[in-house]
Amino acid sequence: MLKNKCYMTVSLLVIASFLLIVFSGAVVAQEREKLKAGFIYVGPVEDYGYSKAHDVGREHVEEVFPWLETFYVENVAPSDVESTIDQFVNNRDADVIFTTSYGHMDPTISAAEKYSDTIFFHCSGYKRADNVGTYFSGLYQTYYLSGLMAGALTETDKLGYIAAFPTPEVKRHINAFAIGIHEVNPDATLNVRWLNAWVDPSGAKEATQALIEAGADGFAYTEDSPAVLQTAEENGAFSFAHYNPMYRFAEEGTVSGQVSKWGAIYQDILYKVYYGIYTNENLKNVDYWWLLKEGAAVLQAKPGMKINPEYEDELKSATVETDYFGEMSVYDLVMKRLEQMKADRVTFDPYIGPMDDRQGIQRLKQGEWATHDELWQIQWAHPIVKGPWPGEPKE
Amino acid sequence: MEDWIVGTLSRTLAYSAPLLLATLGEIYSERSGVLNLGVEGMMILGAVSAFATAFITGNPWLGMLIAGIAGGVASLLHGFVSITLRANQVVSGLALTMLGLGLSGLFGRGFEGKPLEATISNVTVPLLKDIPYLGEILFVSQSPIVYIALALTPVMSFILFHTSVGITIRSVGENPSAADSAGINVWRVRYLCVLVGGVLAGVAGGYLSIAYRPAWTTGMTNGMGWLVIALTIFASWNPSRGLLGALLFGALMHLSFRLQPWVAPELLKMMPYGSAILALVILSIGTLKRSMGAPDALQQPYVRGEK
Repeated sequence: MLKNKCYMTVSLLVIASFLLIVFSGAVVAQEREKLKAGFIYVGPVEDYGYSKAHDVGREHVEEVFPWLETFYVENVAPSDVESTIDQFVNNRDADVIFTTSYGHMDPTISAAEKYSDTIFFHCSGYKRADNVGTYFSGLYQTYYLSGLMAGALTETDKLGYIAAFPTPEVKRHINAFAIGIHEVNPDATLNVRWLNAWVDPSGAKEATQALIEAGADGFAYTEDSPAVLQTAEENGAFSFAHYNPMYRFAEEGTVSGQVSKWGAIYQDILYKVYYGIYTNENLKNVDYWWLLKEGAAVLQAKPGMKINPEYEDELKSATVETDYFGEMSVYDLVMKRLEQMKADRVTFDPYIGPMDDRQGIQRLKQGEWATHDELWQIQWAHPIVKGPWPGEPKE
Repeated sequence: MEDWIVGTLSRTLAYSAPLLLATLGEIYSERSGVLNLGVEGMMILGAVSAFATAFITGNPWLGMLIAGIAGGVASLLHGFVSITLRANQVVSGLALTMLGLGLSGLFGRGFEGKPLEATISNVTVPLLKDIPYLGEILFVSQSPIVYIALALTPVMSFILFHTSVGITIRSVGENPSAADSAGINVWRVRYLCVLVGGVLAGVAGGYLSIAYRPAWTTGMTNGMGWLVIALTIFASWNPSRGLLGALLFGALMHLSFRLQPWVAPELLKMMPYGSAILALVILSIGTLKRSMGAPDALQQPYVRGEK
């Protein structure tokens, strides 16, 4: 009887302590709450361009981190940013807020002063604070790779670029495309037409048609729709997709494309916030400028297809004499450059001197690499660029 | 040089077609006395519904039909507010534009970034294409919708100026109370004309999303509807001059890219609006006013028994 009681007590104690461990474990696990991240987009999520690319990044981190909860508001004009942030902080308990457009910069900075406990990250700007970091994914290296291919594929030696606004970002892309073209085909020119709009499919179509009539047979562009790809294909010309993989819109005309992977940046930021590496006090010097190496930009016609196989043979049979590697096929050169720019220790960048602009002014000295600030503020035009160039520096 | 001109003219036609279709409709609407500033909204509703229909059913022509219906239904909303409720036409039209842009964005969500298999592709007409110059401009790789727009112009012009239907429309737009006393149902005529305007604007939008550039993009009409309003004034409410104006505006649009290295594109792009103002100035000078001016009762709601 006594023995039985003894057993009973011991077993009860064992069960109790076991339960205690389980529950305390659960309590500890519960203590660490979910991290809440809010995203503010300038355009509609379904724009199939810029805001879409950001949202793909948001979906990526939501999938990767079980401890993460995300929400977003789209179509937010700069004047509405502060009130959206108010709502994110007060009603949805956001820990981290991403503002994704250049125009969101000032409202982000002023909201960050108000909510000093919240962490902010602003995309594409230059103003930072203790609780505001900045980030951007650069596509210029991929534009350069596309340029190498375009230079080899053109038969008329005339290529086209349909550009949105004359901002440093777009100019950096155009010049990088030009540098690539020039490297494999010194006779080719790059003809630029401006839309003065981020979304203008009809304008993009007419601009493409106009350049085709003028003899262009290959295109790159900055516009948030597949209009250039489709129009180029209709006319037997080739082009490179922008921001999102748009292969399915033009399976014959799409050679490859420059695609943003914002998810890589979001993953790194949110990981570091969750584990306390980034706080609301140490972001003053945190600036992401992520490129091919960090996986924030990729070269692809569609996921799993770097270069459209239809163009592979032509790229493999076109040869180019390079200073560094000797004679090789353009296809190999593209892969080689991609490797160099993706390596842990980056050994190549499109913007290496000597480089003059089209006015004959030297922009980079022999062997000089362009700095982050030089690339960030670039205004000059590459010598093979033809057409108007608003804001062209005269000295 | 010849190729240059032929190429430009051929592109001009392709870009002018939607302008022409919507302008023909707006001319009828305004001729009956109803200003409809909702063209942009009706066009984009047409564009999204055409794309959605063609995408789901695989039949682009059915898409065009639904585009017309969508534009028509939207225009009836404007008709109800401005004709039946006699509200301010400008306000109602602007509201329709906003509504159309918003609704189309909402409905279009699922269709963004989807390639369309079933499109209305361009045609090349055998035999006719061999006519020197004209053949290359008109009959090589043009959309069938371009032909429909071109064919519609003389028909709608004839109806407006040479049939009793046309007289009825114009009299309602000039002097609704006189028309009413002559036994004309002013409301019905106005509703029908607004409906014609809506259907044609919808079809114009459908052309953009399943023929001109087959894809759906939010806000893809990008101000074309406003060009139509300017064009209607420029054409002084006359379908044939509407054709002329559409071609001119279409050429300017294409040339703003073609001539970009030499001429500032802003200059060419603002010319349609500039020329509309110029047309208004010319029209308001003396003798021309009576024969070419705006319908007298434009923007005036009709109330029976009031002067």
